[in-house]
Amino acid sequence: MILPKFEYKKARTIEEALEIYSQYNGEAFYLAGGTDLVPLLKHRLFNPKVVIDIKGIEELKTITKKGGNLLVGPNATLYELKGTPEIQEKLPCLFQSLDATSCETLQMRGTIGGNIMQNTRCLQYNKSLEWRTARGFCYKMGGKTCNVVLNAKACYSNYCGDNAPSLMTVDAKARIVGPTGERTIKVEKLFSGDGKEPFTVKPGEILKGIIIPLKETKGAYEKLTVRGSIDYPLVGVAVTIKDGSAKVGVTGIGPCPRVYELKEVNEKEINNIADKAYEDAKPVLNAVLTPAYRKKMVGVLIKRAFKRIEKGGSR
Amino acid sequence: MDDNLKIVGKRVVRSDSYAKVTGSALYTADLKLPGMLVAKVLRSPYPHAKIISIDVSGALKVPGVKAAVSGFDAYGVKWGVFRYTQDHAMLPTDKVRYIGEDVAAVAAVDEETALEGLSRIKVEYEPLDAVFDPVESMKDGAPQIHNEYKNNINIHVHIDVGEVDKAMAKAYLVREDTFKAAGEAYAMMEPYAVVASYANGYLDLWMPNAGPHVRAKALSNLLKIPLNRVRVRHINSGGAFGGRSEVAPGDLVASLLTIKSGRPVKLVLSREENATSSRQVHDIVATVKTGMKKDGTIVAKDYKVIYDGGAYSSTGPIATSIPFYVYEECYRFPNVRYNGYRVFTNKGIRGMYGCHGRAFLAGNEAQMDMMAKELGLDPVDVRLKNGLTAGEMTATKSKITSCGLKDTIIEASEKTNFKKRWKKKEKNRGIGMGCVAIMCGFPMGFRSGSSCYVKINDDGQVTLVTGLVDNGQGNESMVIQVASEVLGVPMEDINLVNADTEVTNLDPGAYSQAAAYVGANAVKAACENVRKRLISIASEKLGVPESDIDLKDRIAYSIKQPDKRMPISWIAREAFFRGEPIVATGSFFPDIDFEREWVTRPWGQMAGTFSFGTSVAEVEVDYETGKIIVPRFTAAHDCGRPINPMAVEGQMEGSIQQAGIATITEGNVWYRGFLLNPDLLEYKVPLACDMPEIDTIIVSSHDPKGPFGAKEGGLTVRMNAYSAIACAFTNATGILFEELPLTPDKVLNLLEKNKGVK
Repeated sequence: MILPKFEYKKARTIEEALEIYSQYNGEAFYLAGGTDLVPLLKHRLFNPKVVIDIKGIEELKTITKKGGNLLVGPNATLYELKGTPEIQEKLPCLFQSLDATSCETLQMRGTIGGNIMQNTRCLQYNKSLEWRTARGFCYKMGGKTCNVVLNAKACYSNYCGDNAPSLMTVDAKARIVGPTGERTIKVEKLFSGDGKEPFTVKPGEILKGIIIPLKETKGAYEKLTVRGSIDYPLVGVAVTIKDGSAKVGVTGIGPCPRVYELKEVNEKEINNIADKAYEDAKPVLNAVLTPAYRKKMVGVLIKRAFKRIEKGGSR
Repeated sequence: MDDNLKIVGKRVVRSDSYAKVTGSALYTADLKLPGMLVAKVLRSPYPHAKIISIDVSGALKVPGVKAAVSGFDAYGVKWGVFRYTQDHAMLPTDKVRYIGEDVAAVAAVDEETALEGLSRIKVEYEPLDAVFDPVESMKDGAPQIHNEYKNNINIHVHIDVGEVDKAMAKAYLVREDTFKAAGEAYAMMEPYAVVASYANGYLDLWMPNAGPHVRAKALSNLLKIPLNRVRVRHINSGGAFGGRSEVAPGDLVASLLTIKSGRPVKLVLSREENATSSRQVHDIVATVKTGMKKDGTIVAKDYKVIYDGGAYSSTGPIATSIPFYVYEECYRFPNVRYNGYRVFTNKGIRGMYGCHGRAFLAGNEAQMDMMAKELGLDPVDVRLKNGLTAGEMTATKSKITSCGLKDTIIEASEKTNFKKRWKKKEKNRGIGMGCVAIMCGFPMGFRSGSSCYVKINDDGQVTLVTGLVDNGQGNESMVIQVASEVLGVPMEDINLVNADTEVTNLDPGAYSQAAAYVGANAVKAACENVRKRLISIASEKLGVPESDIDLKDRIAYSIKQPDKRMPISWIAREAFFRGEPIVATGSFFPDIDFEREWVTRPWGQMAGTFSFGTSVAEVEVDYETGKIIVPRFTAAHDCGRPINPMAVEGQMEGSIQQAGIATITEGNVWYRGFLLNPDLLEYKVPLACDMPEIDTIIVSSHDPKGPFGAKEGGLTVRMNAYSAIACAFTNATGILFEELPLTPDKVLNLLEKNKGVK
């Protein structure tokens, strides 16, 4: 499968990237690691006029410690981040989700920004143009129906990022810069909840940085897959415990990761949250394992993650 | 000579290894011919639809498009492996029968232009009702996919030996279970590709294939070109696994396009097309009824097996039969009835697969363990009791000539401490055993044999010419090793010319497990004839009797007086001087009953010999998530004498992945006629990290007719590894599987349904 035709521009600064974006009236995509974008382009899911390469922008690559936070450039690779001592020492949940992302080869190419901002997935969406044309276009392709759920009013595609839920549990924030200025929001606020347009970022906006508070935490990331590597999470559960309270992030089911808070960490609270997360999870038949099973695993993995933390984090 | 082998039986580096690991080996997609065009295929968006019209004229108006074709440019000939299965036009003109079926194609100067051309082709369809489930498809009133086949039953294989009902009535224990399995993807590393070049009335083709001669014959029929003008050439193959034995639609497409355009044409399928539109593996529903005596002796078997055949016959009669035969070649069935139905559905074409029949074979073996447990026996004893031995006949009258089944069972069970662990298992853990036999070749008429031509060149180097095919399993290296042994020259002195219909003779190809037993035997025979000539001249020149001469390290020498010696190159030159260069042919034709026919006469000698194997899997089941982990896998294989033990072990290891670990991961997922996982992300081929610790045990035996005692190497594991996993699952949980693959959702479902079962 060959790529469609597009122009390729390499930006050296954020300003330059934004300028190219506006020159092409927004018919543009930003390219960092490309591990999410290139397959989408090959499948003709997007046909941009221009692809703006932001890999070369130095300020987007750095990882620095500042005032009790780790400031991470979105173009830092997952592998670089995984090797950061502060993450290894203080943020076990994030370390584990980075480690569980795809495989090491792709971790060396894929960036944290691209990983957070990856598009939602569906067995009936991530396919060639020919396949999708035969099937008929769904909401996410600009059609008027969902191919998975009969009479559905919305898109049920799954957000499959491994690291956004862990970042949510450690209270990370995202810095966004765009044509209209700069803003800082909680990572969970990046997600719209709409499978068609899963992100709240406005046209042209670039993720400029991720601010991760560096506090001592305990944590674990549980990921359900069929195979030991490469696979996206069919369900992913991130748990971080800090100062006696905890946060739980759930990914892999539905268009956005969800986060839950536990005021105290005890069996009753854990069971309550597991039940609530189970209730909230609305999987449909758009991944390789059954929806009922994936729903059930939300609760199972939450309990398992807490159990593993209690035992000192080992598997 | 056999007992004093220098090269055969040794762990040699395969002749193809360096080229493959350094990337210098060429595959079809690497070929570049002058003026070559790129082809793209327009595919059916409907699972079942009448073709009203196809208009390719729009494509021809695109600058750069040099040819555009549809089935209306062909002769309307339908291909079938058998006279009674000729139903596949490759490019249909009446109707389309599955999503992704080839409908029209263009050849253009580049891929973008070809895609542009495709978008200009107009096809008018009238959609028809479609059917996707074979059981539904067999019912009256289901959409008729081919007019010739009532109730969409493509093939019915009926075998009835002894008195099944009577024996079943008298049996001490009878059990009936139904097992399902999703079809698999071949997932060859190389997606299908073909290069076709038509010039001066000759059509040359390159493609990964398991039998160039049958390919050429099919294309000669489809294109109405004399067979000697269709030449399938040799090229490296990135895997076949049974899926590349037959002519492919792409072969016809590329041929028509090169004939029309007068330029070479290359067609390379995408990964998705390779899954949706080349070949797939049968989904299977197998009902297995077994009657046993109190002592565990199987007295009767009664089978009903339904194979989802997809849209066309393909190797239908063979596919409908093989799972049964590899089982009856393993165990003694005094009374057995088999009803195998291959049924058409509006899904992609289903072909033979190296791991074909997992629902049937794993079902049989897991059920046997349940029955053994009920009778207070264990899997090892039951298998030893019912396993065939050398000299016995199978139920359908094939004689077993050499048989190491017993040794594989004993060695695999001793190595794993099977009996003790099966009986006193740890919580959540299980161990299971699967056995099978494999025919080394099967009846293919005059194509069942192989022949080889050998010449010694003036520098003493050797050229071997044989029809033998290598799809990556190491067949080429194997025959070079055999020739090296016989001729006393190192492997690197031997050039191989093979699998080229112009220069090589007929050969069964690499899909009936015949390469070692038949192909290598022919090479051995030819080399022995050459050896005789070499020795005759050496004897004359050295003045010693022929019986005193041996060949080694490029030298002919006297065994008694080793200083009497001469290089083989001198003998070759002497022969040239005499005007009688050293050339010879040799052939091998297996002892098969050629009256045997898959449907009309399913009895008689199936193959010259049979290989045997026993796999033992150890599993851990996570009761919370349903995930199965396979920490260790042991496989024992009677492959006769292994010609290259390292290559056999490689085949066994690959089989543990492709059949064994795939039992918990692999299966095609469908929504009606749409394949939902035609890619390597969602189709879960096991990864390196999913592989268990592996023990491979080669049970070296000596087949009386095999080359140096060899039989096929590796396939038994491919057809018993899933059984071992299924049996281990049963041992761990006390539950029989219902459907493969045993993905965590299915496992958890089974555990919940059977709560309380011990």
